[in-house]
Amino acid sequence: MTTQFKVLERNHPRVDAYDKVTGRATYASDVYLPGMLACKLLPSTRNHARIVRLDTSKAASHPGVRCVITGTDFPDIRFGSGALRDRYIMPREVVNFVGEPIAAVAADDEATALEAIELIEVEYEDLPSVVNPLSAMGTGAATVHPELEDYEGYGFTLGHNVSTLLDADRGDVDQAFKDADAVVEDVYRSQGINQGFLEPMACVADVEPNGRLVVYASTQGPYQIRASLAGVLEIPVSRIRVVAMELGGGFGAKLRLTFEAFPALLAMKTGRPVKLVNTREEVFTMNGPRLPVTNYIRSGVMRDGTIVAREAYTIFDVGAYLGAGPNSGIGHGIGAYRVPNYRLRSYGVYTNKIYVGSYRASGVADMTFAVESHMDRIAHELGLDPYDLRVKNALREGDVSVSGAVVPTNGLMETLEAIKEKIDWPRDLEDGHGLGLALCEWRSGSGPSTAAISVNDDGTVSLLTGSVDISGSDTSLAAIAAEALGIPMEKVVVAKRDTDLAPYTGQSGGSRIVYSQGTAVQRAAEDIVQKLMALAADRLGVPEDALGCEDGRVYVMDNEPQGLTFTQLAAASITSRGGPIIGTASLSSMPYTPVFAAQAAEVKVDRETGQVRVLRYIQAQDVGTAINPMAVEGQLDGGVVQGIGRALTEDQQFDPETGAVRNPSFASYLMPLAMDLPESEIVLINVPAPDGPFGARAVAEPPGFGPPAAIANAVYDAVGVRVKELPLSGERVLAALNGQNADIDFDVEALRRAEGIAAD
Amino acid sequence: MARFDYLEPHSVDEALGMLEKHGTAARLVAGSTDFLVRWRTGFWRPEVVVCMQHVPGLDRIDFNDDDGLSIGAMVTVQDIEQSDTVRARYPALAAGATAFAGVQVRNLATVVGNICNASPAGDTLPALLAHDAQCRIVSSSGERWLPLTEVFVGPGQTALAAGEIMTELRLPTPAPNSGGLYIKHSPRGAMDISAVGVASVVSIGPDGAFSSVRIALGAVAPTPMRAPGAEGRLVGQPPTDQNIAEAARLAAQAARPIADVRSGAEYRREIAQVLTERTLRHAAATAVGGATDFEDIRRLAVQTAW
Ligand SMILES: Cc1cc2nc3c(=O)[nH]c(=O)nc-3n(C[C@H](O)[C@H](O)[C@H](O)COP(=O)(O)OP(=O)(O)OC[C@H]3O[C@@H](n4cnc5c(N)ncnc54)[C@H](O)[C@@H]3O)c2cc1C
Repeated sequence: MTTQFKVLERNHPRVDAYDKVTGRATYASDVYLPGMLACKLLPSTRNHARIVRLDTSKAASHPGVRCVITGTDFPDIRFGSGALRDRYIMPREVVNFVGEPIAAVAADDEATALEAIELIEVEYEDLPSVVNPLSAMGTGAATVHPELEDYEGYGFTLGHNVSTLLDADRGDVDQAFKDADAVVEDVYRSQGINQGFLEPMACVADVEPNGRLVVYASTQGPYQIRASLAGVLEIPVSRIRVVAMELGGGFGAKLRLTFEAFPALLAMKTGRPVKLVNTREEVFTMNGPRLPVTNYIRSGVMRDGTIVAREAYTIFDVGAYLGAGPNSGIGHGIGAYRVPNYRLRSYGVYTNKIYVGSYRASGVADMTFAVESHMDRIAHELGLDPYDLRVKNALREGDVSVSGAVVPTNGLMETLEAIKEKIDWPRDLEDGHGLGLALCEWRSGSGPSTAAISVNDDGTVSLLTGSVDISGSDTSLAAIAAEALGIPMEKVVVAKRDTDLAPYTGQSGGSRIVYSQGTAVQRAAEDIVQKLMALAADRLGVPEDALGCEDGRVYVMDNEPQGLTFTQLAAASITSRGGPIIGTASLSSMPYTPVFAAQAAEVKVDRETGQVRVLRYIQAQDVGTAINPMAVEGQLDGGVVQGIGRALTEDQQFDPETGAVRNPSFASYLMPLAMDLPESEIVLINVPAPDGPFGARAVAEPPGFGPPAAIANAVYDAVGVRVKELPLSGERVLAALNGQNADIDFDVEALRRAEGIAAD
Repeated sequence: MARFDYLEPHSVDEALGMLEKHGTAARLVAGSTDFLVRWRTGFWRPEVVVCMQHVPGLDRIDFNDDDGLSIGAMVTVQDIEQSDTVRARYPALAAGATAFAGVQVRNLATVVGNICNASPAGDTLPALLAHDAQCRIVSSSGERWLPLTEVFVGPGQTALAAGEIMTELRLPTPAPNSGGLYIKHSPRGAMDISAVGVASVVSIGPDGAFSSVRIALGAVAPTPMRAPGAEGRLVGQPPTDQNIAEAARLAAQAARPIADVRSGAEYRREIAQVLTERTLRHAAATAVGGATDFEDIRRLAVQTAW
């Protein structure tokens, strides 16, 4: 790749690769402190029940046990991870899902803690419960949160189990449907999905001699868990220090407080460090996954394929608590297309199962499955080519997005053209083979971002950011700093994050680090360049505007040999009049910058077993300037692998009566392995973003959106059956081949009526 | 994660003595791949674990034409998968071994442990049934031989009494012109538990008809099972598509599948039929046409979407 840049658009191995590969990187579970205790949790066995008796006396007197806590040991304060304060960190009276931790033990070692857990006696009085979100919305269903209307953050009344409702409207939808040549209507359902990160939740809590709480955490958001800990423990933020350790994956599941409050309270009560390392079963049964989503979608279309109206009702099961959200899914009901008239609704519905969490652009993959399957349905209804239909309706520069922002320059069309060429669309295939497409859209993530860079006297710089590296972002941020400063990457030292040291920043999520945080880094570096120029002017005895700067050297423009290198200036700065040099920058948000990706799948369907094999998977994504291309491709590979898992095998299942997770292990929750995957085929489209560091766009979310629809569309192309429910298991595809796939029931009229919208 | 004492006998007799002494408080282990999972979940809580890793002589695979194949109790699934004798003469068993977990687990897991664990989904079990395995069982009071068909009594339950150890398997030498295959059906192509597994081992006589047929189904009943009705339908018949299809239908009818997180019951039955048909076709074709290359067996055994 030819490039105008010195550091960017070149492949850089991760700055932490060596430490990770050699096992030297330290994760939260690697923290060992003197006198440390082990923590274990007692899960609820009921999905809706009053705790009548919770007797911890036998456990507390078990030899080696130092402390046992239950919900009433915490201050009586509700806390929330999403829009509402709808839960206690540990239930005080009522449990709302099977697996909810109701007591925690600290003991000399894990085995003793486990023995103590078994000695805790619980008596429950069952309450009526509801597990299916569509039933939960109906009259007569059990109420998950009787005090919902009192919760801080609750803003409307729309049925007893509805936690949140988002809406977006434009134009005259009902008239547009009347004027349309054809109307296509579908209901799709996607499954529960576990984030599937490698490192289970883990943390060590300690109380310093001065009484401050220190938490070594596996987290994507150290400042966010500090704030939540302050809330649930009723102590000031300044009395808490969170050290973010290396993160072994999170994908959204570690954006917020998980279980850090339990070892924290135990440490405060015992005065000893307490470690909690969760098991995989606890990952599945205690920490919020994505829950099933039902999508009703209807389009009014003209004969030539123009979409004139869209109505979408999305029901997000949020489980017992709004562990995340409301979901970002709403605008994605129209996808990457221009639709002049729309009515979009997204409901969050409580049920008595594990609470919903975040996962790589929560909800958008579900929406994309519906919208992109529906696009193919429209094409087939109208007898049009699915590729042409997408091109015809795709957003163009200058269109207005659902958020109201104008779509800036972008590479959407180039991504479509790239996959068309690469997969050779359309093409005749042998029996049982098929091709399918999907178009994905996302916006570059924003939110509070800060960076501080200090210049060291040996010519290196130390980069301090509060953002946790979940994707190789440390390497990309170092590259941005190096590029802006005109120095090699090796001269940038990236500091580890610690809320006592780094300035506040938002969580690592939503593809915001390189785009937003990277902009802060770029500006902080520019701040340094400015200060160094002033210093150089001072030392060289010329005015600043007589100076040029290139390749880490400042020189007098009229007399190039006269100048100072970055290293010389760095050394000089330590004793300069202005003092040692630091550059800082902070920003609150970034302009709307979309990210588009087009994807294509080639599959083979076994007509006798229904099993689907992905033979090829191609993705083209407009990444803007690729800061570190190999890191970009890594994100694209990972996203598509997760998407293929979502399409074919991953399925977190819940007992229909108790809501309990039926498959809480990797032996039964099936993520794809190398054997299940095709070679990765990636085309990077580089239309620089108008904003963002050096023209970079966000990268990490969209790759995972496309596979469910692209593969479902390819299955249709291969064997002529449309499967509207995920995953596309052999069983489901075979049922469809046998003509046994009934449409999903969905009473859209009831929802329209509730809003006072007349039936048509 | 209950605590236990760990014992390492150095002979079968010593192991038998330990089992006798500790009775139901003891758990015998070989590769421990099933044991560790169940101990961690608290499902098994032995006070004493008797590990056979250091008993010499149990890790042998022997073959001669008269006695057939002998597999010792500590022979691993990987040993079987890598054995040229097994690949050449017992292709269904080689297929079962290669469809089993991944290399790391195969390096620890024993074939006899797979039997004694008695999961209906055990991947070596249909092939062992189809190859007519006999089991040598010893106790402090002596030894007995039991056909594998009589070992399985329920999910996780065998005919072994407390204090008994299975020390060896014998698989008779296949007749000339034999062929076989095992196919594993699971949602994922590797490292997955079978939703259905079927092994067929057949011999074709000089007249071109089936002279012997053994079909065994896994994961479709409380125990791995033979399908005698389907077998009987084929013996003496030529291997036509129609005969094979009819036998596959009978085999599927004999299944008693359940629904669980992996699969619905009816789907299991449908898959049992498809796999029976596919294994029979392959077995019949290779019985007369000669063995398949092992890489092909590997692919056929685990490949999703034919
Ligand atoms: C990650 C993973 C993946 C797996 N994948 C598969 C798979 O794909 N297919 C499959 O079939 N299985 C699979 N298994 C299950 C397991 O590996 C097998 O059942 C294995 O064959 C058990 O053998 P072992 O030597 O490890 O038995 P152990 O765990 O040591 O013992 C299992 C049981 O057999 C008893 N036992 C063992 N040896 C004897 C003996 N000589 N006499 C009497 N009783 C005995 C033990 O007491 C115990 O009850 C998997 C397990 C794991 C952990």
